[in-house]
Amino acid sequence: MPEWRVIIRERLAGLTLEGAAESSLTEELAQHLEDCYREYRNGGAGEEEAYRKTIAELDNTHPLAAAAQRLQYSTSYEAISVGDNRPGSFFEDIWRDLRYAARNARRSPLFVLFVVLTLGLGIGANTTMFTLINTVLLNPLPVPNISELAAVCVPGSQASAKTGVPLPLSYLDLKDYRTRNVAFQSLAGYSSPRVITWQASAGSDKLGEHSSGSQRLFAELVTGNYFYALGLQPVVGRFFSPDEDATPGAHAVAVLNYGTWKARFGGTPQIVGRNLTLNNVVFTVIGVAPAHFIGINGIFGPDVWIPSAMTERLLPTELHNAFDDRNKAVFFGMGRLKPHVSRTQAQANITAIAANLAREYPETNQGRSAAVWSIRDVLFVGASTGSSSIFFASAGLLVVVGIVLLIACSNVANLLLARSSARNQEMAVRLAIGASRRRLIRQLLTESVFLGLLSGLAGFVIGYAGLRLVFSGWAVSSNFIAPKLDLTVFAFALCVSVVTGFLFGALPAIKTSRADIAEALKEEARTTGRSRRKVSLANALLVGQVAFSFLLLVTAALFLKSIGRAYQLDPGYQTAHLAVFMTNPGQAGLAKPQAKAFYRHVHDRVTRIPDIQSASWSSNIPLWSRPVSGLEIEGRAKRFQAEAISTIINTVDLGFFPTAGIPIEGGREFNNTDQENSRPVAIVNEKLAHDFFPRGDALGKRIRLPGQEQFREIVGIARTANYTSWGEAPQPCVYVPLEQNYVDAMTLYVRTRGDPRQVVAPVQAELHAEAPEIILANVLTGPELISDGLFQTKIGVALLSAFGLLALGLAAIGLYGIMAYSVNQRRREIGLRIALGAARFRVLQLIIKEGMTLVLAGVLIGFAAAEVVGRFLSRLLYGVSASDPLSVGAAILVLSIVALLACYLPARCASRLDPLVALREG
Amino acid sequence: MSPASPDQEWKKGSAEFLVLSLLEDKPRHGYDISKLIQIRSGGVLSFHVTTLYPLLYRLEERGWIVGRWVEKSEQRRRRYYSLTPAGRKVLRSQRQSWKEFVAAISRITGVEHA
Repeated sequence: MPEWRVIIRERLAGLTLEGAAESSLTEELAQHLEDCYREYRNGGAGEEEAYRKTIAELDNTHPLAAAAQRLQYSTSYEAISVGDNRPGSFFEDIWRDLRYAARNARRSPLFVLFVVLTLGLGIGANTTMFTLINTVLLNPLPVPNISELAAVCVPGSQASAKTGVPLPLSYLDLKDYRTRNVAFQSLAGYSSPRVITWQASAGSDKLGEHSSGSQRLFAELVTGNYFYALGLQPVVGRFFSPDEDATPGAHAVAVLNYGTWKARFGGTPQIVGRNLTLNNVVFTVIGVAPAHFIGINGIFGPDVWIPSAMTERLLPTELHNAFDDRNKAVFFGMGRLKPHVSRTQAQANITAIAANLAREYPETNQGRSAAVWSIRDVLFVGASTGSSSIFFASAGLLVVVGIVLLIACSNVANLLLARSSARNQEMAVRLAIGASRRRLIRQLLTESVFLGLLSGLAGFVIGYAGLRLVFSGWAVSSNFIAPKLDLTVFAFALCVSVVTGFLFGALPAIKTSRADIAEALKEEARTTGRSRRKVSLANALLVGQVAFSFLLLVTAALFLKSIGRAYQLDPGYQTAHLAVFMTNPGQAGLAKPQAKAFYRHVHDRVTRIPDIQSASWSSNIPLWSRPVSGLEIEGRAKRFQAEAISTIINTVDLGFFPTAGIPIEGGREFNNTDQENSRPVAIVNEKLAHDFFPRGDALGKRIRLPGQEQFREIVGIARTANYTSWGEAPQPCVYVPLEQNYVDAMTLYVRTRGDPRQVVAPVQAELHAEAPEIILANVLTGPELISDGLFQTKIGVALLSAFGLLALGLAAIGLYGIMAYSVNQRRREIGLRIALGAARFRVLQLIIKEGMTLVLAGVLIGFAAAEVVGRFLSRLLYGVSASDPLSVGAAILVLSIVALLACYLPARCASRLDPLVALREG
Repeated sequence: MSPASPDQEWKKGSAEFLVLSLLEDKPRHGYDISKLIQIRSGGVLSFHVTTLYPLLYRLEERGWIVGRWVEKSEQRRRRYYSLTPAGRKVLRSQRQSWKEFVAAISRITGVEHA
């Protein structure tokens, strides 16, 4: 290859360009000639020919020389890729920064791992909580336009419709509201889920291995327009037609829950047309409801929906007279409001109808009102706590996970600050070659958002795992609401990640970009420690972390103690030696005489078991009772709707009170004289006696239960107990004898001498021996009853404790990181101290003291915060004061131990420094 | 218009237009430009180094294009020319008047332009 540079220089000899320009011009032209030459050669020309043709390009150099001379020939040089000719646009810059961030991340994998783990835990905790909230509160009903839906119910005993518990309407009332209202497009009715028995072994039901013997299912009775009003479409088959709900008992059809269809019938589309024998009535399956829809009772739903016209045939004893008795309240009203009709307008309409009904049917409807609820307010009627406390708890926990994330952010921010001194030089160089500060901040923020997104990915995975963990304690069944990891959750995690990136990146970015060019460049590679300002900022962040973790720990400790206390609360009956067995002879097809014989025989058999002290029957399960409205007291006129008395009603057999451990405070227990044809009697609890007979003259007075014709004489007063939830406010209760009020589903109460778990198997054997066709729906011992009653609180406490410990762990890591960093930065100083004769334990002391001062400040602030938060929490605590010294002490102890450890390790490191090495390094 | 022997004057006037057009979609180096002119004109037009570079420097001097040394990985560095916003504007107006010119010529001569 000829030396083109030399040739060009010769040809352009007259040119007087400055050095750089001249060599640049020469290089450009030489490259061109080189390319030409190579091409001629590749085209088959010989060396000489190629040379001749190429050199011809330089025939007349005059114009070239002139142009080059005229032009201020630019030698500017850029290491940019081709195509980057335009001045950097916003997105191109972001892309460039992102790639730079990714390169940076690859260079320090440990740092990235730490950040991703720390933030991932924080984001994961948030994702878990948000999924729960999204599932339960934000998106509980998978139906279109949920805001158009409203419920019509009877307000509970509380005066105001908005605070009372929504209670059901009678079938006739619902029908009247349905036909007379002008506010709803269509008003449907639904019951709460009822236990039914599926005779799965009955001939045509056989569906493979799943079907054997009798199984327990839950059924909801709904009006024919129920699915239509909700705007749902069946997955398979169809929903009820209006005529299927027109004639009582005529059309035995059923719609299956999607989960039940999948789990029990393998999701076969051939399900339509199959028969199901439910409570000895043969039903035909006509369709399957859409996935995720489990009815309106938010958390817990039925396996099948049955048209309301089948009410009496499905549950003959329980819902006897449901069609013609306005006192038999079974159905909740629900419907879609007409366009442009507000809930207030609907309320006015319903109130007017209620007033008319009260005039038309004074016997039953006087003083009974109805209220229009937002559908969200009736979603959790089935849950013992109601929607407001679920909302309260969720909001609380969301705040907690928010704090955990903040701690994680401040940890990472601290780490970035520590790194910022190392990057000072890089920033200074960038500033020196003309980057603007804004541009630097943007680049640093892009880096942190990039890290945030990485962590978000990890967080999403951790959140999913956390969700599995939370729901592993939840009975897996198609009846329960299932957590949904949908797009909303993903969008939430994404937003949190980006915000997180800004949050932990902003402070360090501003700090770092403020690099003093001259100083930073002079410092060379050696850093002499963090500036005072940086240290104090890091310390402030750390104090905040400690304060927050302390707050969470105290709160968790308070709730833990409160749960411990809750177990010791007196529910009004004995639990230590109690076991209950739920049976349902009516659904197994036993008629009244057989069922009564069953109750009697089982009682006799069971009491023969040596370890059993006594046994009795009750219609209610502890903590599962629901109040009903409409109790009447003789001689007491209902003047206001607020005076409609709601009460718990419990049908009990002889010997119930001693077996359950409920003391009779006045009058007598039920005895053999209380027979079907003798004088109707009742026992009331102290709460009812005190509220309605304040002069203490309840004995001998008469009351009438809703739906019954005869008045009952009060013959005894029992102590008030917890009926609906643990530690509840006292509520009225009426006990009636089984002989006078037959119920076809009763629960056997057994009082044992020793551990109730010991008798479960023998009692089950006796029950089976007496009537093998009767399924034992559920067996619970006293302690299990309490655990179930405290289930929601326990889940809350478990989450709170987990998050509290997470926060503590993060704070400890942060503390350790800062101490280790500061020790490392002060090696020279520490080395000097040791060289000058400081004892090693003094050094240890010095470092620990520094760390623990921060911890102490955090604890003090956290303590003050806990005091404030405690005020809000006091109403959720069972018998524990919000400033309980034991809880506070425990939190301080745990925090101190962890903090001490986090300080000790770096301190020990410092005290073992070899002064010679430290000084030489410095 | 016979494409067989384009005369020098015409070539000089339209050369600027050609170079600006070639730089419109992406930056190119000198050799690239000269090859493209040769290939796309089917060998009818070609520029010697001594014609092309003075032209490039002139355009650069006017601020219509800018030359920059660019280093791509695995390649020797090269001087790439790219259009400046001013050059882009000039290209647009030249293209417009060229169109009008060609249209006028063909109206007069009855020659269909390609």
